[in-house]
Amino acid sequence: MKFSESWLRSFCNPPMTTDELAHALTMAGLEVEEVKPAAPPFTKIVVGEIVSREKHPNADRLSVCMVNVGSLSATPLQIVCGAPNARAGIRIPCAMVGAELPPDAEGKPFVIKQAKMRNVESNGMLCSAKELGISEASEGLLELPPDAPVGANVREYMKLDDTVFEIKLTPNKADCLSVYGVAREVHAITGAALAPAPARVVKATLTEVLPVKVLVPDLCGRFAGRVIRGVNAKAATPAWMRERLERSGQRSISALVDISNYVMLELGRPTHVFDLDKLSTSPSGGLGSLEVRWGKKGETLKLLNGNTVELDDQVGVIADNNAVESLAGIMGGDATAVSLDTTNVYVEAAFWHPLAIQGRSRRFNFATDAGHRFERGVDWETIPQQLDYLSALILEICGGQAAPIDDQTINVPARKPVTMRVNRAQKVIGVSVSADEIAAIFTRLGLQYSRDAYRFTVTPPSYRFDLEIEEDLIEEIARIYGFDNIPALPPIARSAMRVRPSDQRALHDIRRAVAAQDYFEVINYSFVDEAWERDVVGNANPIKLLNPIASQMAVMRSSLIPGLLANIRYNASHKADRVRVFELGKVFLRDATVADGELAVQAVAQPLMLAGAAWGGAAAEQWGVAKRAVDFFDVKADLAAVLPAGATFVKAVHPMLHPGRSARIECDGQLIGWLGELSPMKIAMFEINNAPVVFEIYAEKVMFDRAKSVEPVSKTPSVRRDLAFVVGNEVPVEALLSSLRDVAGGEVRAIDVFDIYRGATLNENQKSVAIRILMQDTERTLEDADIDARLQKMVASAEQKHGAVLRT
Amino acid sequence: MSAPSLEQIISQATADFASCADAPSLENAKAKYLGKTGAVTELLKGMAQLSPDEKKTRGADINRAKDAIEATLKARRESLANDALNAKLASESIDVTLPGRGRGVGGIHPVIQTWQRCEEIFGSIGFDVADGPEIEADWYNFTALNNPPNHPARSMQDTFYVDMNGTDGLPLLLRTHTSPMQVRYAKMHANELTTKGKAIKVIAPGRTYRVDSDATHSPMFHQIEGLWIDENISFADLKGVYTDFLRRFFETVALQVRFRPSYFPFTEPSAEIDMKFDSGPLKGKWLEISGSGQVHPTVVKNFGLDPERFIGFAFGSGLERLTMLKHGIGDLRLFFEGDLRFLKQFA
Repeated sequence: MKFSESWLRSFCNPPMTTDELAHALTMAGLEVEEVKPAAPPFTKIVVGEIVSREKHPNADRLSVCMVNVGSLSATPLQIVCGAPNARAGIRIPCAMVGAELPPDAEGKPFVIKQAKMRNVESNGMLCSAKELGISEASEGLLELPPDAPVGANVREYMKLDDTVFEIKLTPNKADCLSVYGVAREVHAITGAALAPAPARVVKATLTEVLPVKVLVPDLCGRFAGRVIRGVNAKAATPAWMRERLERSGQRSISALVDISNYVMLELGRPTHVFDLDKLSTSPSGGLGSLEVRWGKKGETLKLLNGNTVELDDQVGVIADNNAVESLAGIMGGDATAVSLDTTNVYVEAAFWHPLAIQGRSRRFNFATDAGHRFERGVDWETIPQQLDYLSALILEICGGQAAPIDDQTINVPARKPVTMRVNRAQKVIGVSVSADEIAAIFTRLGLQYSRDAYRFTVTPPSYRFDLEIEEDLIEEIARIYGFDNIPALPPIARSAMRVRPSDQRALHDIRRAVAAQDYFEVINYSFVDEAWERDVVGNANPIKLLNPIASQMAVMRSSLIPGLLANIRYNASHKADRVRVFELGKVFLRDATVADGELAVQAVAQPLMLAGAAWGGAAAEQWGVAKRAVDFFDVKADLAAVLPAGATFVKAVHPMLHPGRSARIECDGQLIGWLGELSPMKIAMFEINNAPVVFEIYAEKVMFDRAKSVEPVSKTPSVRRDLAFVVGNEVPVEALLSSLRDVAGGEVRAIDVFDIYRGATLNENQKSVAIRILMQDTERTLEDADIDARLQKMVASAEQKHGAVLRT
Repeated sequence: MSAPSLEQIISQATADFASCADAPSLENAKAKYLGKTGAVTELLKGMAQLSPDEKKTRGADINRAKDAIEATLKARRESLANDALNAKLASESIDVTLPGRGRGVGGIHPVIQTWQRCEEIFGSIGFDVADGPEIEADWYNFTALNNPPNHPARSMQDTFYVDMNGTDGLPLLLRTHTSPMQVRYAKMHANELTTKGKAIKVIAPGRTYRVDSDATHSPMFHQIEGLWIDENISFADLKGVYTDFLRRFFETVALQVRFRPSYFPFTEPSAEIDMKFDSGPLKGKWLEISGSGQVHPTVVKNFGLDPERFIGFAFGSGLERLTMLKHGIGDLRLFFEGDLRFLKQFA
């Protein structure tokens, strides 16, 4: 909310500087977002009157004006001017010689000097609103009212030594959605005197009443209105009112609209002015009637802003005999809006229940100042007084005659007394604020209370919608007592040791392990392009956002891998030749087996995944290391850093991966993740020139360490035997090893592959697998006979299961 | 010409050995003095004619000379061997300024480093860590936090909705803050508090989402939620804990913290927390860092606890914001671009 400091200070004027006042408001919960001068600095600009205007002898577009500046110059000043609206008789801001105009972008003021313009002497400059820095638009000279005192300082005359406050109000501060409301707050914070709320009394000279039927008490709690006839809608809005409206960011529109806006800004009271002649009449041609009710399906209303909305029984309306004419508490209708030709009006002020207004304008995708106030709560008690104030301003500015106010109270909120215990306040705030201090705070806030030694009972005023429970009052005490005055205490708590069980790994441990393998962690958005899910991941039915901000962020991801591929593409486009990235994040899938739970939402699986991608060289390009592209086995080795012992890799097909170069990762027979080279089809989609190797693992499956079993180190000598088996290409090495393990006794300590050979000495469909076998007995030195017997068993097993032939 | 004196032979041998540049020539030179026909050997042969007394003295003299020559020879041999070793080592020398070889080390994302740091700091005074769903039910994200449908406070946080409904018939949403974890965690631990007096003391860092996107807003960001509920945890305690946290996190006491009244449906009193550095590039400016307050009694009730007996505070801070202030980063979008040139600086 924006308003001028002078307007605020007209109600409550504490002895503080502008900055002190702004700080005090901020520290009371009315955050001052901006404090801006109403006009930039300038000097020696006065009210001038153009006495005569002649065309410039040497320039078509210029004129030569004689300008009366009163006592400041014995004779009128001759000033050359280029504005098209320069003419005799008008009063305008006149910068005298020596005047400093507002500073330019570099901060230097523009100084007016005596000058010759095309051979004609000019002794000053006539100014537009833009040149004074009080308006963005330049519409020629700023024409001042005809009664502006000639010679007067423009800054003083226009009250430009003012400041505009912009405050950000939290939704609970409905009572501060007006200048007077803020003034009430300033009074509470500073104790400076508060002027009474502005009020006028109108004497009714007409007698007619427009009948209004309020059909829905849940919607409208009080409704007041009156007829005013004979207004001049073309009357000019007075300068003082325009100035306050403009400094509140409200453009002046017409007198009737301006007055209604003014009352809303000053008192927080939204009102509506109907053009009486556009409302339906009675069958006899006299005044018709209005009804306040819920809308009906099928009804529509063209609003003041030109939008047409479709109504239903969730939105309140004011209707005449023919049609809906206003969206209750939000915006009036176009058909009955006032215009410059309006002469008879019906002015209305009502109490709309917040619950009946909340969320309604958001449904129609717009917001109004009235709706904003009503959904937070507007005082119902002052409706007739403030309607009278509005009427008085109309009569004063537009003339006319008023009928009496027709005021019906149907169902206004009850203000239940709220009890607050002093010791509870002390406990919650953590300060021993005394009952007398509390009493002083309540008094300053204008809260009526009764008290004993231990408790206060407060009856909230009708303009407060945020005082319903004890904590609401405690908050008020803390706020006015001052958050700064509450100490920052180290809490006292019982201590207990807490440490993660040693067989569990924190997510951060896993991150560190992956980073140690030369991967950089990234954070990608959880929402992705639908095409990624459909075409890359193969998920035809991703969870969709109902209101995405962009099509490439339209669905929830079910895999982290496309994001990592995009990271590779991004970095490759920035000249990186090797990219290794990982991410730890949730993925989202529809899953009917998921039920609502302590940490689960029905039908949505949200597992945490660990995924990585390696692209480019196995190592960074460097001296003394042969260049080699990263492959499946490099990344498989990287994964040893995170996978539990005993994880196995099983050849399997995955839609994202190269069918011949991909594996399921299993642990105890359970799927825990995937590893593989990206499928060539997907590579093309990401415009990457080489295949990255990617993995994706269920994080919860790697968040533990296997219990460690420790054996003593044997002192007996160990024996190494190397064997090379020739087997068919199709035999997985793991299968061959497992055929050896099956018959390996306890003395076989390790079976490891150390070479794979294919070539001229073998058949085309064969490979040779060189295997190192380490044997050692814990108790005794192995004899050659033991060793040979064991090896024979192993060779026989490999031969039997895989047709393996020992290479000699 | 008289025969050379022993001293002359020694000095001649010393000179000869010194002039030998390698082991073979040194062995040749050795033969000249100590070989079968060498000068010393000849002198020994010549002793045959001498009387026993003369033999005794002469023999001793010759043996001394022999020892001297052998010592010189040994020294020269060692010296030559040293030279040879030094030459070999010199030929093997490497350029130690060349870079080390092999694979490098990656790094952890700066926002996650902040997350870790927060866990360490709050962990040091006994806070647990919790995580939960990001696609969340309306009740946990809003209603349980005292923010029913249509409440004006809902417009404070523009919400992403998904095409699925929760069990209450309301659309599921992407959590707009980590506060739903207050409710989930507290419900899980309410019984322990009520029956065993074990305080609810937890932080919940994680991803959050709002319909917002520019240099200072990202549609996805990270928050860290904090919650401490016990019989007597006051607003003054909140001030103490959070002020301490900021000073630990930024590792300076040259830091002012202020709490100013604000509004969140789930806390009362509510406070916005601002901080101001006394030095550095951001010196002198109040910077918003966190929302906080005493947990609203309605929310405590939704935890399954008696608000009359249990009170406490909650806060929610942006991890990106903390990271940006710590490292002087101006543009939030850098965190989500995956640009290695940015990420490598935090390794």
